[in-house]
Amino acid sequence: MLKKKVTMLGAFAVGKTSLVQQFVHSIFSERYQTTIGVRIDQKNLHIKDTDITLMLWDLYGQDDFMKVKASYLLGSSAYILVVDGTRHDTIATAHDLHQLAIDTLGKLPFVMLINKADLEESWEISSNDIQQLRDKGYKIFITSAKEGTNVEAAFYWLTEQMIAQ
Amino acid sequence: MTTKDQSGIDLMESGKLHALRQLILGLDQQDQDRLHLLLRDPHAFADEISELLPYAVRRLVEKGEITVDSLMPIIEDSMHKSVQKNPGKLVDILFPVMGPAIRKAVSEDIKRLIASINTSIETGLSFKSLKWRIQALLSKRSYTEILLANTYLYHVSHVFLIHRQSGILLHQEAANDSQQLESNMISAMITAIRDFVSDSFHNREDTSLDTIQVGLMNIFIEQGPHAIIAAIVEGNPPADFRLTMTEAIEAIHFNMAPEIEKFDGDTAIFIHSSKFLRTCLIRERKQRKARPPLAFIGLLILLFILISWVGYGYITNRRQIRALQEQVNNTPGYHLSSVKKKAGKYWFIGLQDPDATPFNEIVASSTIDSNKVKGEFEAYLSLEPEILVRKALNRLQPPPTVFLKTQGTVLEVTGAANQDWVEKLWANIFKITGISELDDSKLRVNHTEEPDLDWIIPEIEQKSFEFDINITEIDSLQFNAFQDLVQAALLLEQYNRTHHTLLRIIVYSYTSHDGNVEANLRVALRRAEHFATLLYQAGLKEELLEAHVKFVEEGQSPSLIRSVQFKVIDKNKE
Repeated sequence: MLKKKVTMLGAFAVGKTSLVQQFVHSIFSERYQTTIGVRIDQKNLHIKDTDITLMLWDLYGQDDFMKVKASYLLGSSAYILVVDGTRHDTIATAHDLHQLAIDTLGKLPFVMLINKADLEESWEISSNDIQQLRDKGYKIFITSAKEGTNVEAAFYWLTEQMIAQ
Repeated sequence: MTTKDQSGIDLMESGKLHALRQLILGLDQQDQDRLHLLLRDPHAFADEISELLPYAVRRLVEKGEITVDSLMPIIEDSMHKSVQKNPGKLVDILFPVMGPAIRKAVSEDIKRLIASINTSIETGLSFKSLKWRIQALLSKRSYTEILLANTYLYHVSHVFLIHRQSGILLHQEAANDSQQLESNMISAMITAIRDFVSDSFHNREDTSLDTIQVGLMNIFIEQGPHAIIAAIVEGNPPADFRLTMTEAIEAIHFNMAPEIEKFDGDTAIFIHSSKFLRTCLIRERKQRKARPPLAFIGLLILLFILISWVGYGYITNRRQIRALQEQVNNTPGYHLSSVKKKAGKYWFIGLQDPDATPFNEIVASSTIDSNKVKGEFEAYLSLEPEILVRKALNRLQPPPTVFLKTQGTVLEVTGAANQDWVEKLWANIFKITGISELDDSKLRVNHTEEPDLDWIIPEIEQKSFEFDINITEIDSLQFNAFQDLVQAALLLEQYNRTHHTLLRIIVYSYTSHDGNVEANLRVALRRAEHFATLLYQAGLKEELLEAHVKFVEEGQSPSLIRSVQFKVIDKNKE
């Protein structure tokens, strides 16, 4: 049995918790996140003849007032950068967190989710921006936590990357 | 000798040849000698290899070129072949281990069984268990948790080995009776909380979180370089529990340091940490107060009462049946052959004369519940005197002045009757089965229908009953005389009825002034009342009877003392 820690990173209110909730049936209250800055969920998967348990650490959203604690990233096998499609500035936050992850963990599998695909008319992130991110080598999924679009695909892709390592 | 030879000798002499050899081969003479020895002597070579072999194997294991998995088939095949070839060998090897192992396993199983039975008895159906169940219901905790919390002084239910950085649960051990927990999540949360606390105090070394209190539970945390142990404890464990945890985490790091350091998500290997984690699963049962076994005593008392009640019922029933059996046997006209119990009822089986007292009347006069008793009687003819008299009474219908008695098969008829009845008597007497003779010598025939006072009054007043000292009741010898008295008394009453007179019988009980006069009076009065009662029972009206005590005065016959005499007086003429 494999067990991997996966960290959800992103700016405040980009939809990290909603994405996790969409992916797993959560038992812990969100109160924990506001209290100590993290909320943990678990998802068991069977991919490529491997049983794997993902321990999903959903960290609070970083903003100008609160920085993500590096200690919460320790021991992660992969991480997910979440960006809000309707807020362009969340890309910069994702970049900062990506750098923090590299500094703390070294190079690990990661994926970037541009969330809130269901609000596409309000999007501030253009296809050009997305292309630029792809050019940097980011694996991007356009997701909707509300409708479940691409959520499972993104988690499965990341899990396959971890198994392949 | 040439110049060349001379130069060679010089070289040898100066030891330069050795130096040259060392330069060419890189070995000195000693090394060469050692190598020669190894090649020539296999024992020396084996010794040399034996020193290197363990190190080489260790290196191969470290490099991953040899693994336990790769060695396993070889070892298994070897053991298999060894057993096939000579099973006795393996038996000899295992013999010292098998005995203690089997004994230990059996003893552990028995202990567990006894503990389980004890617990079931103690907690199955008691007020305590009911209280705990209500407590569990109210607190929304499981009954097992409440039970453990109340039964143990302290109790370690779960021990987690957690990867320190990732918070991933590497392995867990739980006590047998523990609840299933979301162990992965709990491990991660414990790590997150520890990280939070550590960050909040700016990573000071002395600020690691050692204990988390959750309601009645404590989570004890012991930290190692790469992993932590978290133990879920109810109650207060002994002070050296911390030391136990420290020893466990140290032992795990000592034995599994590479696996923890290079942990990549595969937790299977950490099953080997089980034996260390289990040392932390400790508990201590609460000392129970030595109380008298009230429940047991109560149960015994209840049992005793129940047995007594059933026993009393059984004995009473048996006694009642025996009494009834005796009563039936003593009742004229019955011949009881057996008493059987069928379908919860007692069946009295035997013979019954048609003129005998009905069976249900006998049952009704007894103390037994009539629903419990049934009679099954065949008819027969009884020759018992009472039955013969009853048959005669039924058939002859004598007047009240006639008395019937049997002596064997002879019917004695006494008293007074008119001619018609005497004729009826002779006409029917021999139709009564069991009567072969008639004795009517004492039967007086009235030729008139009227009762004759000239006969009645003297018959009453001439009767005298004498008693011994302190005797107040008539005996069997006096009975016939008394019957004559009754017969005359009844005729007197018949006379009263027909002539509307009030002729009364006065009972005089005589005594003397000698001795204790008070006692004399008391005895005499008892005699007088005894006769009055007997006459009343024979059918005389109460108002026609009077009982008096009289002293025998001077001039009177001393034979009157302790006698009872009778006097007939007309009340209308008083």
